[in-house]
Amino acid sequence: MADEVRNDLKYTETHEWLKIKDNKATIGITDHAQAELTDIVFVELPTVGKVVNKGEELCVVESVKSVSEVYSPVGGKIVNVNKKLEDSPESINKSPYDDGWLVELEIKDRSEVDKLLDAAAYKKSI
Amino acid sequence: MVNRSPLYETQKKFGAKFIEFAGFEMPIQYSSIIDEHMAVRKAVGLFDVSHMSNVWISGKDAVKLLGLITVADATKVPPNMSQYSEILKEDGTIIDDTIFMNLGDKFMMVPNAGMNQIVTNWLKEQIKKHKLSAKIEDVSKDFAILAVQGPRSKETLQKLTKVDLNNIKFFGCQYGEITGVKCIISHTGYTGELGFELQINPTKNAEKVFNAILEAGEEFGIKPIGLGARDTLRLEKYLMLAGNEFHGGRTPLEATLGWTVNWDHDFIGKQALLKQKERGDFDRLTCLVCIEKGIPRHGFEIQNDGKNVGVVTSGTLSPCLNIGIAIGYVHHDLRAEGNILDIIVRDKPVKAKIVKPPFVPKDWAQKNLENVYNSQ
Repeated sequence: MADEVRNDLKYTETHEWLKIKDNKATIGITDHAQAELTDIVFVELPTVGKVVNKGEELCVVESVKSVSEVYSPVGGKIVNVNKKLEDSPESINKSPYDDGWLVELEIKDRSEVDKLLDAAAYKKSI
Repeated sequence: MVNRSPLYETQKKFGAKFIEFAGFEMPIQYSSIIDEHMAVRKAVGLFDVSHMSNVWISGKDAVKLLGLITVADATKVPPNMSQYSEILKEDGTIIDDTIFMNLGDKFMMVPNAGMNQIVTNWLKEQIKKHKLSAKIEDVSKDFAILAVQGPRSKETLQKLTKVDLNNIKFFGCQYGEITGVKCIISHTGYTGELGFELQINPTKNAEKVFNAILEAGEEFGIKPIGLGARDTLRLEKYLMLAGNEFHGGRTPLEATLGWTVNWDHDFIGKQALLKQKERGDFDRLTCLVCIEKGIPRHGFEIQNDGKNVGVVTSGTLSPCLNIGIAIGYVHHDLRAEGNILDIIVRDKPVKAKIVKPPFVPKDWAQKNLENVYNSQ
């Protein structure tokens, strides 16, 4: 099984990744998560402008047999969503860290970022 | 306690991911549900379905018993033929759907996974009540069951047996040997494709057969298939899954299985069915294809103008059609082909059109997919 963990990203125990740049976070699901789900066939994205708290449902990712909620690792306002996933949800399987990103979020509270896992800690958890 | 197939270790070796289904830890998938699904539609796949039950029915009143407890007239099922049918309660609701095989000396019934006790108890009760001379043996643990399905299934299996598979009619069954292992071979399946099922006793022989079939099918691209693809394959063909479609007490008429009912014989539940048939005012299983994005799932509500008019019993993304499909009970006035209803997916209505079953017709794969073997 492919279990790529990238060093420049932050992670959660529930298999989300975050790429932090200034006060923005790009969020997706990890290579481990996509391999567990396999065959992602549908993504329900949130609307841009929506404000979510840490731990709230961010979007829904469906495989043929399963429905999985993705929870927001940090709180903030959604500023961009990966519309391309509506027509090619399989990008999450093929490229979980690049083409398969889910949403971009304006981080409300930077201190929440400090509580995320780094690559080494995430690697240990899977 | 969770049961396991006698092939559990073999499945693990082939990379199976497991789920619990009807009290059994079974493979949900090996590689990918979509790849496995397509392998069966295009060529051939191998399923372990040992979680299904096995019940021997014998004795001088065996035929009488089968006629009484199913909607089929068992006198019409000659030796070496099998029959799909339903077992009903007095009120006409389905206890289980099943296949029974006439093997000449006795009958083998194959109830659903986890249904062996309920069905054998029901049968024994009826034997007593109707003073019949028949013997019931629950041998579910003594049999492994393999299914070889897909347009290349016959060629694959023919390499391993002296039995001429061309002589086994659709729904035919007989004793035979596969790679030297004694089993019951039947021309049946749950995928809508050409296919065969093997009942293997003792179960320790199953691994040899499993491996031999994978080897024989290698040139055709055979894959081991999990329950995930088994479900999507059957759903595209509008084949019922008892735990979904009959849940909560449904009759064969509601489940659009009226065609399986032989009205010319007496059976348990007949009076209730006749009454229901006369009334005609009941919800029936209906096929819906989403015309908007979204995947219907078991239990989702079906609405018309914001009013509840039905419920989804099974739904998935169809790997062949690449769109959401659902079957569900819909109010009898709203079932016209082409009618558009809403399926409520996480509080949002997704438009779906009523279509005629099955979702994927017999020649669909031939016409629409590349590299499909023509077994005709």
